[in-house]
Amino acid sequence: MATAEHEQSTEFLLDEKTLREIETMKGAGQWSIVWRRIKKDKMGMLGLYIVIFLILMAFASWILLGFDNWLTSQGALLGDPSNPASLNNLYIELWLPGMPAESPLVLFQHPRYHFPELAKLPPSFAHPFGTDGIGHDMVSRIFFGATVSLALGFIGQMTTVIIGTFLGSIAGFYGGFIDEVLQRIIEILYSMPGFILMIFIIVLFEDVNIPGGRYAVVVIFFSLIGWGGTALIVRSNFFSLKQQDFVEAERALGASDMRIIFKHILPNSLAPLIIIVTLGIANTIFLFAALAFFGFGDPNAVSWGDDLNKWQNDLLDYPWMPMFPALFIFFTVLGFNLLGDALRDALDPRLKD
Amino acid sequence: MSLKGFIIRRTIYIVPVMLGITLMNFTLINVSPGDPVVVRLGLIHCDNDDCYNAAYNGEAIEMGLLDSDFYTVPWFNRYVDFVNDLLHFDLGNSWYYTQAGEGVPISQIISERAIYTVVLNVLSFFFSLLLATAIGVVSATRQNSFWDRSLTVAMLLGYSMPLFWLAKLLMLLSFQLFNFTGVANKDAFRKPLFLNPNFYKYLILPTIALTLGGLVFMARLVRSQLLEILRQDYITTAKAKGLDNRAVIYKHAFRNGLLPIVTIIGNSLPGLLAGSVMIEAVFGWPGLGTVFLEGALFRDYPMMMATNTIFPLLFLVARLLTDITYVFIDPRIRY
Repeated sequence: MATAEHEQSTEFLLDEKTLREIETMKGAGQWSIVWRRIKKDKMGMLGLYIVIFLILMAFASWILLGFDNWLTSQGALLGDPSNPASLNNLYIELWLPGMPAESPLVLFQHPRYHFPELAKLPPSFAHPFGTDGIGHDMVSRIFFGATVSLALGFIGQMTTVIIGTFLGSIAGFYGGFIDEVLQRIIEILYSMPGFILMIFIIVLFEDVNIPGGRYAVVVIFFSLIGWGGTALIVRSNFFSLKQQDFVEAERALGASDMRIIFKHILPNSLAPLIIIVTLGIANTIFLFAALAFFGFGDPNAVSWGDDLNKWQNDLLDYPWMPMFPALFIFFTVLGFNLLGDALRDALDPRLKD
Repeated sequence: MSLKGFIIRRTIYIVPVMLGITLMNFTLINVSPGDPVVVRLGLIHCDNDDCYNAAYNGEAIEMGLLDSDFYTVPWFNRYVDFVNDLLHFDLGNSWYYTQAGEGVPISQIISERAIYTVVLNVLSFFFSLLLATAIGVVSATRQNSFWDRSLTVAMLLGYSMPLFWLAKLLMLLSFQLFNFTGVANKDAFRKPLFLNPNFYKYLILPTIALTLGGLVFMARLVRSQLLEILRQDYITTAKAKGLDNRAVIYKHAFRNGLLPIVTIIGNSLPGLLAGSVMIEAVFGWPGLGTVFLEGALFRDYPMMMATNTIFPLLFLVARLLTDITYVFIDPRIRY
C-alpha cells in the first residue's frame, strides 16, 4: 500500500509538537480524536454554534406552538384570561424585575395572529425585525418558521441518506445484476436537474391530500429521487472494504451477509456518510427555500422560504420584510456548510491542506 | 478502439438514458391525481352536461387520451406516440402560451427563446471559469496569506448565499447606485437583437449574478485541487530544476489539476442549469427557464414534459463533451 509506505517514511521527520499531539491521542477513541480536531477549527466551531443555536430555536418554537395549551394548563405559560390577545397564548411575554407588571416585554406573537394596523412598520424596539405587509411581527415569524425550515432539511436529508445507504450497501456488497440495475436508475435520476424535477413533481401532485400538507409530498418525492449520490459513495466504499481481511475473517466465522453489511462494513464507512448528511442538509434547506421562493411551497405554512416568497417584491420599498427570512436561510446554510467542511477535515485528515 | 468508435459508443449510450427519463416523466404524469383534461377545460364555460361532455371528449381525443371511438388509449401506446413525436421534433402545443386561441407549438417557443438562455449561460460560464481559475491560483499559491484567507471567506459566504437571493441583492444594490433594477422589459429585446444597445444593458446584471453563482462553486474546487497537486513530488522536482513559479503552476500543476475539475464541473451542470432558471426568473429574462417556470405555475403539462426532456438531454450532451475533453487533456486515459 502506497499510503503505509508514505507514513513510514515520514515517521522520522516528526517534530516535537506532532509527537506531543500523538502522545495525547494515544488510547483515545476515533471520535474523541475527531472532536479534538474540530475544536481546533475556529470556523468549524462557529458553524457548530450556529447549528446548535438554530436547532434549539427550532425545538423551542415547536414546543411553544405545538403544546401551548398543555403548557398553560401545567402553569409553565401564564395566559391572562382578561386580555383577549393573550387567551390562546398569542403572546410570549417576558417580565423583568423593575418593569410594570401590566406591560411586560412582548417577546413573540403567535405567528398566525396579525394586527392590520401595525402593518409595514420598520424595525423598532417593539418589533426588532419590523412587521410585514399584513401586520405579523417578523421576529415571531422567523422564530416559529425555524421549525418547518429546519425539519424539512433534516427529514429530507435523513430519508435520502437512509435509502441511499441501504441500496448502496446492497449493490456494493452483492454486485452483479442488482448493481447494474441500480447504476442505470441512478444514471437516470442524476441526469435530471433536481430543482426542475421537483417543480415538475410538485405541480403534478399538488392535489394530493395526505397529512402534513404539501410539504409532506415534497419531502416524500425528494427522498425518492435524491438518494443517488449517497448510494454511489456507499457503493464504492463497499467495493473497497469487502475485499479487506476483516470481512474475510468474519465470513470464515460464519457470519450472515446482513451481519457483515450492517455490523462490520457500514460502521467502517460512516465517515463519508456523516459528511454527506451535514453538507446535504445545507443543500436540502437551500432547495426547499428555492422552491418556496418561486411559488412552489405551501403558502399556508409558517416557514422562511414562504415568507420570502410573499414579500420578495417589497425588497426595494420595505427591505426588512424579505431580508430577515433570507438572512436566516443564509445563516442556516452557512452553519451547516462550515460544520460539514470541518467534519470532512477532521474525519479525513489526508484532504486537509 | 479508436477515438471515433469511443465517441459513437458514448453518443448511442444517450438513447437508453433518455428513454428512461421520458418513461419516468410519463409515469409520473400518469400516476398523478387529477384529470389533465379537466385542467385543460378550466376556461371553457358550458351551461349543460351535453356541451361539457362533448367538449371533454373532444379535448381528450385531441390530447390522445381517448381514441376516435371513445375508448381509453392504453398508456403504453401513448408513450410510444410521445416518443415517436419526439423523434420528429414535435413537442406538442403549449396550453399556456396561446396565439389567436391556438396553442403555440412548443418547438417554436423553444427555438425562439433558446438564444436568450444560450447567450446568458455561455457568457457567465466563460467569465466564472476565468475568474475561478484566477482566484483558485491566487489562493493556492499564496496559501494562508491575507488574500487567500479573505478570498476563502468570501467564497464560503457566497457559496452559502441562496443564488436567487444573491440576484435580488444585486438588484437592490444596482437600484440604490444607478436607479436601475435590471428587470428586463420589452425595450431590451427589439430585433435585431445583437445591434440593440438595450439588450446588452439588461444583460449585465443577470450575467453578473449567474457568474457569481458558478464562480463560488468552481473557485473552491480549483483551489483544493491545486493545493493537492502542489504537494506532489514532481512539483518539488520541477522547482528544484529551477523553473520559475509561473511555469511550475501553469505547465505542471494546472494541467494535472484540470481533469478532476472538468469532471466535477461536467457533473454539476444540472445544478448550473437550475441556477440559470432561478436567475432568469428573478430578472424576468425571457429564456427557457422563465418559459418553464411560468408554464409550471399554470400547469402547462406539454410544456413541462418538453422541458423535462430538453434539460436532461442538454446535460447528457454536456457530459458527453466532458468525456471527450478528457481524452484530449489526459493522455493516460484509455478508451
